[in-house]
Amino acid sequence: MRVIVIGAGEVGQHIARTLSSERHDVTLVDADAARVEALQGELDALVVNGNGASPKFLRELGAGGAQLLCAVTHSDEVNVIAALAAHQLGTERTVARVRDAEYFGDDDSFARDELGIDFVINPERATAEDLAAAILLPGAVHVEYFADGKVAVAESIVTERSPLRGQPLGNRRIVKPSFVFGLIRDGRAIATEPGHRPKVGDHVLTAAAREDIEPVVAHIAGRANRVRDVIIFGGGRIGLPLARSLQTTPGLRVTVMERDADRARRIAEQLNDTTVLHEEGVGKEALVAHGVDRAGAFVACAGDDRANLLAALHAKQLGADLCLSVVSREEFMPLVDALGIDAAFSPRLVTAEAILRAVRGPNVHGMYLLSGGAEVVEVQADRGCRAEGRTVAQANTHALTHVTAIVRGGRVLIPKDADRLEAGDRLVVFNTRQGLAALDKTFDAAA
Amino acid sequence: MRRVRGRLGPNLNWQIIVPVVSWALLAVGLGLAVCFVVAVVGEGAVIAFGAPAAVVLPLALVGVASGRRLRSMPLRARDGFAAVTVAWIVAAAAGAVPFLLHGTFAQPVDAFFESMSGFTTTGATLLDRIEDEPDAVLLWRSLTQWLGGVGIVVLVVAIAPATGLATQRVFYAETSGITAERLTPRIADTAKIIWGIYLTLTALGFGAYWLAGMTPWDAINHIFTSVATGGFSTRTASIGGFESLPIELVAITFMVAGGINFGFYWTALRGRERLWPQAAEVRAYLLILLGASTVVTASLLLADEGAGVGGSIRASAFSVVTVVTGTGYTTADFDEWPAFTRLTLLGLMFVGGCAGSTAGGMKVIRIMLLGKAAVQEVQRQLQPKAMQVLRVRGRVFSEEVRRGVFAFLAIYLAVFFVGTLVMATFGLDPVTAASSVAATLNVVGPGLGDVGASENFTAVPDGGRWVLSALMLVGRLEIFTVLVLLTPAFWRPNIA
Repeated sequence: MRVIVIGAGEVGQHIARTLSSERHDVTLVDADAARVEALQGELDALVVNGNGASPKFLRELGAGGAQLLCAVTHSDEVNVIAALAAHQLGTERTVARVRDAEYFGDDDSFARDELGIDFVINPERATAEDLAAAILLPGAVHVEYFADGKVAVAESIVTERSPLRGQPLGNRRIVKPSFVFGLIRDGRAIATEPGHRPKVGDHVLTAAAREDIEPVVAHIAGRANRVRDVIIFGGGRIGLPLARSLQTTPGLRVTVMERDADRARRIAEQLNDTTVLHEEGVGKEALVAHGVDRAGAFVACAGDDRANLLAALHAKQLGADLCLSVVSREEFMPLVDALGIDAAFSPRLVTAEAILRAVRGPNVHGMYLLSGGAEVVEVQADRGCRAEGRTVAQANTHALTHVTAIVRGGRVLIPKDADRLEAGDRLVVFNTRQGLAALDKTFDAAA
Repeated sequence: MRRVRGRLGPNLNWQIIVPVVSWALLAVGLGLAVCFVVAVVGEGAVIAFGAPAAVVLPLALVGVASGRRLRSMPLRARDGFAAVTVAWIVAAAAGAVPFLLHGTFAQPVDAFFESMSGFTTTGATLLDRIEDEPDAVLLWRSLTQWLGGVGIVVLVVAIAPATGLATQRVFYAETSGITAERLTPRIADTAKIIWGIYLTLTALGFGAYWLAGMTPWDAINHIFTSVATGGFSTRTASIGGFESLPIELVAITFMVAGGINFGFYWTALRGRERLWPQAAEVRAYLLILLGASTVVTASLLLADEGAGVGGSIRASAFSVVTVVTGTGYTTADFDEWPAFTRLTLLGLMFVGGCAGSTAGGMKVIRIMLLGKAAVQEVQRQLQPKAMQVLRVRGRVFSEEVRRGVFAFLAIYLAVFFVGTLVMATFGLDPVTAASSVAATLNVVGPGLGDVGASENFTAVPDGGRWVLSALMLVGRLEIFTVLVLLTPAFWRPNIA
């Protein structure tokens, strides 16, 4: 596949690297000559200096023959113009990062149907949604919804109180139909077997129907306290939408700490039911003064990874129950576990999820990237595909994956090995290896 | 630097102010002409209206004509304040002439007081027996209130050929409210809409009074003063003189309607979903009326005034509405009521109606903002780092507004206090002194004590009548417009 990536920033480089490692032809464009120079030798991709919003330049690059264009410069306007131009030139699919919600709001159908931009991604907003979902599901540190929200996949931490601790997974008490399908230990995700005994500190992955996930996760985590107080450190592109979506939850008090006085005033004006504090300190005194020690959840989402990790670390040590941090740069990720922070969220991963979906084509409906290269994807079993009529066990063997949930006729099934798959089933699949070649062959009739 | 224009003190652009004032005078002249016709048809006072009309109309036309060349001349903020204040004083002076010529009053101060009380829709009167006056004089009293209701200058802006920025300045200098709000891109259209709503309410109220049993003559006089929340009546006993429940209900309805932000009617009619800020203010306004009526009713029943439950509710609701909206009609002599009730009514005078209405007082939106800001000040003690936002129904008010409402409250109370002291120097007792200032500053009309509901303002000495006339104007123009003219900076030439 020929892919053009406009903007060689953090996200653009990550996409280029991921896609080139999946053997796609990547052209990376950036307006900064020095940066292009520096990247020349680092990537197995064509790195070009130029203005990605220029139709003339895009034509010269051969955008008309490209299958995908990802516009991820720091400027929303450049991204939109580049995507529009590429669409007109004949690029099959276009993705534009638009971080300002003023442009399209929650509904991107105008961009898709009228402008022809296939995916409008707002990574900060999507990250905020992920954070909100995790905070609202007691016991989970991350939750992702699939199949139009019918299936939930939750990541939760095994604690001292957890009944799973030290017990074989096969003996687990089934609260509601659910499937503990994956385990993340030491930064690596593995598929579970009935004999696995989770340890304290392991992250377990559970699939269940949306309405069942809450008791299941509460049971696994060994606690079910609803979060009553959430403190958001940083009222920026993530903190503001996060506060906005959380403040409407009944019984949840939202507090935002923001370092910049003007910014604090602006967001205070936009948030009706949120306490906005102008606080410059990241130190423990400042955090204690605002009740971080008693908070049910603490979210560090200021602009700087270092400040986020420091604040989250303080909050954890002070006794905040759930400590989440936004970590933008990959190199800081290993610190998250080491510092005992419950989970890290990355706008970069969210962007990559959206773009990988775009790359993999229309059969992949949802995607959740886990640390350690594993992923959870939603696919559809096509009529005439190899998996049709086979059992789940057979499909798993063929595709080298694990089917964790099936949506059939609007109902959610937690599959057993002997269940047979039917055409039209929506499958939520756990995939521990990168690349979907085997998956495509199994479920996609055309492949 | 331009040369100082020494002769008039402040650096004002009279070439612009004169036409604005002339347009207002033209409206007054037309009103005089209408009364002249009534005088000719009716029982007299022909000269009293004919003579001033004959002088005022040509004068106004000359003034208006002088401004025709100057349409695009910019009007500065100071010119706007000056133009509006001068227009009101000139209108009140012209309006006083018929009272003098007819002999209603012998002293110029009394005529001016009555006229100013009319234009500012205060409704305080110096007349002992209103029924003795000819029809033309009664209509003139009602007409001054109706013209002053939503504002003479708003009328000028609506009918005068648009003069761009100039009209905008004078419009905002006259209309009440905390932020400059307009309903349409062009200010002249906004003024037209306001007057359209005003005319519609007047027409509806005329029909309602007529149906409720008034003669068409009484109906026209009373609707002029009801919808304008003025308070002049054709009878000494005011609305109470009719002794009719339907008439009182109609009066209550149109006093309440006059106290609602006219912008609210417009947005409601257009079915706009964003009814802020008016919707929240109107709701608070209605709740205040309802709550205050309940409290007053309860206090009357507890004091066992002997009016019964129905009678108490009727008297309380009417008195509360007439006091809060600053109308000043009376049905019951609330001066005889218990001290608690009288003080409650005195406090309610300061509330007033909604911003952008015909009512006086501090305005409900300011009270709401003051309440919220005060609570936030207390909270700030606990959480000094919390960002506090002044917000009504999702609409955010700037920090300037926060400062503005506190400043308004401080100045308003200062004017009230100083005014009361000044009135006390004229030998009035404390209740009369304080309530006469409250009743005129909030453009209500009747006060307590010697200026109470069953009395009139004849108990006030001549000097006090001048002071109260000035307070009416200060209250009607919401303090700042007039106060600006009293600052040294205004009188210093060369400062733009």
